[in-house]
Amino acid sequence: MSFTQIIINSIVRASELALLSLGLTIVYDILGFANFAHTEFAVVGVYLALFLNVSLGLGIVPAAIIASVLTGIIAIFIDRGVFKKMRSSGGIIVMVTSLGVAIALRNTVRAIWGASARNYSVALEKPIITPYFRITPLQIWIIVIGLAAMFLFHLLLHYTKLGKAMRAVSDDPELAQASGIATESIITYVWFIAIGFASVGGILIGMETYILPYMGFAIIVPVFCATIMGGIGNPYGAMLGALVLGFAENFGLYINFGQVLGIEKIFHISKGLFIPTGYKPAISFVILILVLLVRPRGILGKKKAG
Amino acid sequence: MGIINFLVYLAIMMAIYGILSLSLNLQYGFTGLANFGQVGFFCLGAYTSTIIVLVFKLPFILGLLGGMLASTLFGYIIAIPTADLKEDYWAIVTLAAAEIIRIFFLNESWVVGGGPYVGGAFGVGGIPQPLRSLFSAYTYPFFYLGIALLCLLVAYLVINSVTRSPFGRVIKSIREGDNLAQAMGKDIRKFRIKVMALGGAFGGLAGCLWAHYHGFISPEQFLPLETFLVWAMVIVGGKGNNKGAILGAVIIMAFYNSTRFLKDYIPIEEVTLASLRMVVIGVLIVAAMLFMKEGLIKEKKTIY
Repeated sequence: MSFTQIIINSIVRASELALLSLGLTIVYDILGFANFAHTEFAVVGVYLALFLNVSLGLGIVPAAIIASVLTGIIAIFIDRGVFKKMRSSGGIIVMVTSLGVAIALRNTVRAIWGASARNYSVALEKPIITPYFRITPLQIWIIVIGLAAMFLFHLLLHYTKLGKAMRAVSDDPELAQASGIATESIITYVWFIAIGFASVGGILIGMETYILPYMGFAIIVPVFCATIMGGIGNPYGAMLGALVLGFAENFGLYINFGQVLGIEKIFHISKGLFIPTGYKPAISFVILILVLLVRPRGILGKKKAG
Repeated sequence: MGIINFLVYLAIMMAIYGILSLSLNLQYGFTGLANFGQVGFFCLGAYTSTIIVLVFKLPFILGLLGGMLASTLFGYIIAIPTADLKEDYWAIVTLAAAEIIRIFFLNESWVVGGGPYVGGAFGVGGIPQPLRSLFSAYTYPFFYLGIALLCLLVAYLVINSVTRSPFGRVIKSIREGDNLAQAMGKDIRKFRIKVMALGGAFGGLAGCLWAHYHGFISPEQFLPLETFLVWAMVIVGGKGNNKGAILGAVIIMAFYNSTRFLKDYIPIEEVTLASLRMVVIGVLIVAAMLFMKEGLIKEKKTIY
């Protein structure tokens, strides 16, 4: 695989991860708990889009939009029914509860749509092939949507009243409430935006590969890793974390560690020392542990103290 | 399968999961460490014991001790980088660590000797059962139940004496926030590492019992699903109470196994039934966290 190809693959992966990490980090920030149901919500969106696209025959774009809006609304309902009652509880209690929500969501999806792999009904498009790399139109879309989402989020955070209020709640919830910001309605918007983005990310992954009830779990560690690497509560950090992780996952398999570490001559490794493909999922796990070991606050650090 | 056979099987599962539940209760219920990777200890114990007994042809008891030792070390090692971190980081790190263990056994078939024992995604079969030749096919499960119950009793006595000791009081104060324990001059880091190592030992013990009972293990049996079952046990049974942890294991295992027979009575596909069963487990966790925070058996609050 050519060098440019690996870069393209990394950017595609980073765009998908960014869509998911962005939501995780703002929920973590505003609500103060690690939401283990985050990627499972995305899977709900993936399957709702599948239903709209395959069973009702809608085009993939309207299906994806409607599914993501619906998933955002489902998230608001679950917040009202479950998480709202725990606002004063500690982060761990809510986190364990979100684990319960995650198990229930994933298996509801599996009970309705079954455990086998599915696909959206979209026409296969010819990849664009150049001497240096090949890229499918879908992959270009993934990158465009990823960038657009990040830009939109930036505008939202800095140029709207909602964004201002969100930043205020993030900095100091009590002060924000005392200043007349309706924290509860901010939380509603946060859930909608976070889970809506996650659902779009999930659908894009589903389009690029295939759809499985288990895909939410397959991506939870990379998404958490990107979020923690970027510094929890820092949306720009989450994007950067996603980029780093996208590159690490793809480049990790092509680095000759024998050469890098200079141990090739000592141990006489003739074929080079590579990470076996079977360990690709483990790359993000190992990076996560390394990040926590070296810089637990993430690359950009936490934007607020305490 | 006759009703007696089924009940003995169920009781063995209850004992094995009871040990897992006691171990998680020590970590989460008493110390507040959210270990989302309990299945990693289970897996490591099962594989280590299998390698010792099947490949190296050593006695069962050495397999048991080896499995416990490996899991203890694993708990010790993953606790080192995380010991200083906030509790929510624990969850994701332990979850990742357990997956690394599983991916390792999925990819490396040579660790179980390769060739004759296969390994990797195909799993390992023919794991010897202790003292199998002394019993008939019918009486053996009763004997194994005895072993499992004995292990459960040991786990209960050890963990109970630990949680009642001064050590137990320190870890409970760590659970309530680091400040008090720190003010008393306790090294929180060391306590957390010790708890993970001790909990790991019993997680490994449960894994050994599982491997030698079934005689077959594969990476597919050690999915994060198992961890979530154990969490449901601790939360429903009552965190911070060892009897509660065992009660939780009994209830969740009874529910989990008895619903298997539903498909004989109502037309439902296996995968749908399995999914619905897990939906109930998830809802149970949420409901318990909402309406019954302390679980069925409440923690004993002692005033000194």
